[in-house]
Amino acid sequence: MSRFFNSMRDGVGFDLILVGAAMLFLLALAGLPLVYNVLMSFQQVDMFTLGSLIRPFAGFTNYVAVVAQPEFWLVTKNTLIFVFASMAGQFVIGFALAIFFAQNFPGASTIRGLFLVSWVMPGLVVGALWSSILAGDFGVLNFLLRSVGLIEGTIFWKSDPNFALWAVVIANIWLGLAFNMLLLSVGLAAIPRDLYEAAELDGANAFQRFWTITLPMMRSTIGAVMSLGLIGTLQQFDLFPALTEGGPANTSTVAGYWAWQMSFQLYDFAKGATISVMMFVLVLFASVVYVRSTRHEVRG
Amino acid sequence: MTLKSIGLMAGIALAAMSMAVPAMAQTVIKVWSIDGANAPGIADTLSKEFNEKNTDIQIDYRIVPFDDLVNEALRAFATGQAPDIISLDNPDFALFSSRGAFLDITERAAASDVIDTSVYYEGPLNSVSWDGKLFGLPKYTDTIALFYNKDLFAKAGIAEAPKTWSELVDTAAKLTDPASNTYGITFSARAGEEGTFQYLPWIQMAGGNYDNVNVPGAVEAIDDWKAMIDAKSASQDVLSLGQWDSTGTFNSGNAAMAISGPWELNRMSTDAKFDWGVALLPTQTEGGARSSALGGFNWGIFASTKHPDEAFKVLEYYISQDERMFPEFSSIPARSDIALPETGVPLKDAALKVFQEQLQYAQPRGPHPEWQKISKAIYDAMQQVLTGQVPAQQALDQAQATIKGITG
Repeated sequence: MSRFFNSMRDGVGFDLILVGAAMLFLLALAGLPLVYNVLMSFQQVDMFTLGSLIRPFAGFTNYVAVVAQPEFWLVTKNTLIFVFASMAGQFVIGFALAIFFAQNFPGASTIRGLFLVSWVMPGLVVGALWSSILAGDFGVLNFLLRSVGLIEGTIFWKSDPNFALWAVVIANIWLGLAFNMLLLSVGLAAIPRDLYEAAELDGANAFQRFWTITLPMMRSTIGAVMSLGLIGTLQQFDLFPALTEGGPANTSTVAGYWAWQMSFQLYDFAKGATISVMMFVLVLFASVVYVRSTRHEVRG
Repeated sequence: MTLKSIGLMAGIALAAMSMAVPAMAQTVIKVWSIDGANAPGIADTLSKEFNEKNTDIQIDYRIVPFDDLVNEALRAFATGQAPDIISLDNPDFALFSSRGAFLDITERAAASDVIDTSVYYEGPLNSVSWDGKLFGLPKYTDTIALFYNKDLFAKAGIAEAPKTWSELVDTAAKLTDPASNTYGITFSARAGEEGTFQYLPWIQMAGGNYDNVNVPGAVEAIDDWKAMIDAKSASQDVLSLGQWDSTGTFNSGNAAMAISGPWELNRMSTDAKFDWGVALLPTQTEGGARSSALGGFNWGIFASTKHPDEAFKVLEYYISQDERMFPEFSSIPARSDIALPETGVPLKDAALKVFQEQLQYAQPRGPHPEWQKISKAIYDAMQQVLTGQVPAQQALDQAQATIKGITG
């Protein structure tokens, strides 16, 4: 008996308690809602059955109905564009900035710290900010572009189907930039200096050093940044209601916003759940990539 | 102290507590509404007064934010915790009334001394009716009409507000002046309820309705809107601006006309530094059929209430105070038997007369239990046309097919 309590205090039992608490927490707060969501996507839901767990089984009708929506393929296309453009923008600019601030110049770390301001701000505030930057007739961006002479007329960022999605992409890149830069900076700092010195002695130029040292050494960091970026971008919601509300004519609606709209504006909870299950498959894919890319990390 | 004496003391304490409750049985009526969040509103003020006057019935009033109202109500109803009375935006009302979630008050209203259904405007009354039965009562109402800047009209040599759609397009073009950053007109064609709110009246003027959107006049109307945007008589940002922001550009003199409602009057009276007026929405042809949007909230009693009689008494009290609706809360009662008192601001008083006339033509959105989906089909089609992605006839045909799938 005393051995049992000893192991609870210091041994396998203690480890099990710690792991168990975390598992219980995850199951209750992430697992159950997830299962509930999947369950709901196979059921008929209306206001009378909203509060119950057992509802009429609907089979795949919700899935068929979602795919049959006239905007389904447009939303799919928008989601892909939004995710890849946002991730690419956040990663490339974030990486460039990380390398820039990794150089030793006065104030480098202070300025890098200031970049975090964008990441600390709530999405709705960022949305309101970009809303006035991207406004059509009296927008700041249009004014700048006109002053520089890049455009002559007015670009209606939020109302033109050719630009609406890109307006949200621009705001989202700005929002996620700091997070990307920070993670990549940490990765950069972890690369031993002597590798670069040795390469320089061997006569490798800057590009070769980047290609053969920086990139391979950053592999796991890049994998992590990419998959966190994918998840963060798919989750992005605040910017949509603040900027375009998915318009004009759904040209800036992405899956996450669409799922919200179905559930909480059109009160079709089953279809909302169905769309989020479809998104879940995508996020699952990203998580697998993330886990695989961090698997080789050696932890001290 | 022994266990026994603790038990005894607990017993005495319990008895004392039960004696503290007043002998008279009190009925608590739960009321939900959006009023009172920022400034004193209708439901919160009246509930407080009711509680002061009555002892047998007490109102437990809760403010629910507008965006959460329907979702909260759905959840509460599904879990059996719905309030007794709720105040809902009129297009959301049918979601509940059509499914029997609201109490049928047809007979109660007929027997009431306070309520007379014949005095209500037709539109608001339709929005609380379903299947010939009365499921609630209109709280207040509003509608949209055409605001116009009289100074700019005079400068352009235009004597009066446009009366037909084609006149509107011409007038907007004449008033547009890019040099002074002035558009001819502004309205809201936003991707949301406001977009449908502004476009549906035009479909109705052309003889269509929410379940018949691809009538020839609806095509003509949306083509007129597109013509105004293409000619830069209206900013393309009408596609993303709500009515409040859109009318803001009118108040600052950046648009010569604006389509919006009486909720603008207070701000316009102070912000607009020019002479302005309000005209009825232009019709398809001279003297053609009129229509306008119907805004405003309704009262409903949930069918799940345990105290229907007391809840109805509370409702009667709210209705009995309708005369204070405009002077105290700047909202227009949905009934024709209450004259609005003069406000002392001439422009505002003149405008209110027009809005009251326009209200007689206001038609509800729906009523239909799946109104939000119908509305989305309409504003999606509207935006597809205005952005030039799909020709008007094709977009409205597609919307009609979608709506047909919903209405059956």
